[in-house]
Amino acid sequence: MSPAGCPHVNSFKVDNWKQNLRVIYQCFVWSGSAETRKRKAKSCICHMCGAHLNRLHSCLYCVFFACFAKKHIHEHAKSKRHNLAIDLLYGGIYCFMCQDYIYDKDMEQIAKEEQRKAWKIQGKTGSMRSFECALCASGIGEKYSTWEPTKRELELLRHNPKRRRITSNCTIGLRGLINLGNTCFMNCIVQALTHTPLLRDFFLSDRHKCEMQSNSCLVCEMSQLFQEFYSGHRSPHIPFRLLHLVWTHARHLAGYEQQDAHEFLIAALDVLHRHCKDDNGKKANNPNHCNCIIDQIFTGGLQSDVTCQVCHGVSTTIDPFWDISLDLPGSSTPFWPLSPGGDGSALNGESHTTGATTLTDCLRRFTRPEHLGSSAKIKCSGCHSYQESTKQLTMKKLPIVACFHLKRFEHSAKLRRKITTYVSFPLELDMTPFMASSKESRMNGQYQQTVDPFNNDNKYSLFAVVNHQGTLESGHYTTFIRQHKDQWFKCDDAIITKASIKDVLDSEGYLLFYHKQFLEYE
Amino acid sequence: MKMEDMPLSGPDNTKLEALVHDIYSELVEDACLGLCFEVHRAVKQGYFFLDETDQESMKEFEIVDQPGVDIFGQVYNQWKNKECECPNCKRLIAASRFAPHLEKCLGMGRNSSRIANRRLASNNNMSKSESDQEDNDDLNDNDWSYGAEKKARKRKSDKNQNSPRRSKSIKHKNGELGSSVSSEPYKYNYNTGISYETLGPDEVRSLLTTQCGVISEHTKKMCTRSQRCPQHTDEQRRAVRVFLLGPSAPSLPDADTVVESDSFDIPDGQTLMSRLQWEDSPDISPADSASSKASTNHSDSRRPKKKKRPSLGLNSGGGGSLTGGGGSSSSSSQSNISLSTKKKRPKLSAPSISSIYDDLN
Repeated sequence: MSPAGCPHVNSFKVDNWKQNLRVIYQCFVWSGSAETRKRKAKSCICHMCGAHLNRLHSCLYCVFFACFAKKHIHEHAKSKRHNLAIDLLYGGIYCFMCQDYIYDKDMEQIAKEEQRKAWKIQGKTGSMRSFECALCASGIGEKYSTWEPTKRELELLRHNPKRRRITSNCTIGLRGLINLGNTCFMNCIVQALTHTPLLRDFFLSDRHKCEMQSNSCLVCEMSQLFQEFYSGHRSPHIPFRLLHLVWTHARHLAGYEQQDAHEFLIAALDVLHRHCKDDNGKKANNPNHCNCIIDQIFTGGLQSDVTCQVCHGVSTTIDPFWDISLDLPGSSTPFWPLSPGGDGSALNGESHTTGATTLTDCLRRFTRPEHLGSSAKIKCSGCHSYQESTKQLTMKKLPIVACFHLKRFEHSAKLRRKITTYVSFPLELDMTPFMASSKESRMNGQYQQTVDPFNNDNKYSLFAVVNHQGTLESGHYTTFIRQHKDQWFKCDDAIITKASIKDVLDSEGYLLFYHKQFLEYE
Repeated sequence: MKMEDMPLSGPDNTKLEALVHDIYSELVEDACLGLCFEVHRAVKQGYFFLDETDQESMKEFEIVDQPGVDIFGQVYNQWKNKECECPNCKRLIAASRFAPHLEKCLGMGRNSSRIANRRLASNNNMSKSESDQEDNDDLNDNDWSYGAEKKARKRKSDKNQNSPRRSKSIKHKNGELGSSVSSEPYKYNYNTGISYETLGPDEVRSLLTTQCGVISEHTKKMCTRSQRCPQHTDEQRRAVRVFLLGPSAPSLPDADTVVESDSFDIPDGQTLMSRLQWEDSPDISPADSASSKASTNHSDSRRPKKKKRPSLGLNSGGGGSLTGGGGSSSSSSQSNISLSTKKKRPKLSAPSISSIYDDLN
């Protein structure tokens, strides 16, 4: 018997009490289907005063409903010596001897099970639009209940009163990283990844079940990395094992020399993805249906439409992507002119100082229709011949974390240089104008999109910025990351300092990480 | 039917409003009741106050926002001496030099293949004895440079067998261990060590006449370096001989051949001369490695090894400068030598050695 129970339940726990209790829960407390709800509404009235509300309780020993507020159930209990009653709204059990609600372990167990059953039924019929139903409808069928400590855990917590609480003015979650010898490219990506909220939640709730035999699982190492970051240690962490594992699994990256952070990001995501795939055994074979955490967070779908100029037939392909590489003005590829329909920058409220390129400018250029020219004729299935065409890229499916890569390192045949043009990027980004669906409506003649304020699907918030200082040959990477709502920190290898939002927005920007603001269940 | 669609006036309106108000207040009350139940349950089950933080902990983790220090309140750039253990070769490496070390250790990167090819080429050209010399390059790695004090710990003889430098030499050595011990006692066999369990007492005895023989804690094998090996003390060597050969065993074989005298005479010059005919000495001194900081240094197989200065300038009285002690004085002590060989330190009589070591220690 748990300490919150009472001795008086023992007289109840005889014969077929479990079944009886279940029936009571099913019929009168957690009403799953429409019929039971109707029945509850009709039959549950106070037997003494006829009230429907007033905290109705049902006696556990006999069929008697009475309200609590007017003490009718108390009278019944006294006269009949039926000492237990159940609250019909929340299912709590009241003991008249103890004069308090009690929590008996066995009875609670039954209550929980019945509750879950009811939710499942509600979900299936889909009749109600309550919040819980929305959860059930997704097939999850189970409410996410808060954590409750077990008896043992309670003891431990009481004996150890020191707590490490993550408040908004807390350093927990932040930690420096030692530079192992030109490894600032790795450090900055690690900082960005460890501050990706969904990834952090995944690893801190221990969701990775490793199935790799050897010690070389990169996902396990990531998990360990999160433990290190949240350990409360102040000294910087030495990510030597991570480096070793990445070099072992991504040979093309190995070598003591300065490397590109973006390349490292892609390689790291790839290795993580491969190692995660081992978790979902049966899905591993189909690359399009991987459901690992990396895919859930980072993978988006890029739609490429090739339109034949003659018959206007469109052939569409959708490719997965982890990042979006954007050309910049000042590169050898022409940046302007853009397609008509200058939406976007007004939408995103970027400060459009004269001449300063914005991120939305780059995105508009990315999603513009491009004439492929006569030298690149595509075979059109409609015309059955080679015709000129235009190609256009749009976002089909947006990832939860969108990473924008500004192509600052130019490696063309003529020159190799770094493009240092300032590109201004916003704190909040709306990707709606760049979606495939927007393109369709644009083609149908609606140029100015009415922004639906209630459609929050495509709104993103900036949470990490990776910057590069220096030249093409040698330079240094640093990262700005966002820890709580509006606090930014600069991570320069082992040194973490507080930064202002202005510092972040004024920085050059090389890799920009945006996180979806609102997450929907699928 | 939405509220907006209802007529704003009419007799039913007040009733409707009252009803609506009733429903609304009931809903709010029910929600509050639910919250009350939650709190009640938490208090009764005992976990309501559990997440309260103590002030001390809160203070400990507060963010610091001052110039010159990071958010933990620490000064910048104090993390120079961090170390980590290489997952490949298990050595302790300075953290800021880990990446270049790992590159060589794993055999990746631009330099490693060049080095490896050169070694292979030189191995084919040189004789076996000279290839012994090559192996010493392993220890002259620049990574050793800072860790002179820690050599005892770092000189693990069970280095990762997969390390690219190891692979060639082992093949030569293992097969010939037995023979080389007996037939060429003065040939320097530098390999990972000899397992004393497999040897018979005679072999052990003869081994111990030429080699250091101290049994490594890590590998349980005998050190195959010379009797002047800098990694082990004479005390250790004596202990090993006692252990392996019995209490009557001489601590160093030289005690037999060298008459205990105050002065350093070479009683048996011939024996000593032959003993000094080692091809090369395992002159691995921290001083050597300290000089080889450049990464390609060890790849140059033709680089003449830094020989320890023979420490034969011994005074009478059993003392005398001895470069063998730790090897750190190898370059410093220049002593004239009565023997004309350019190499080895001769073996000294046991008593004098022990006292010398004591001095140096």
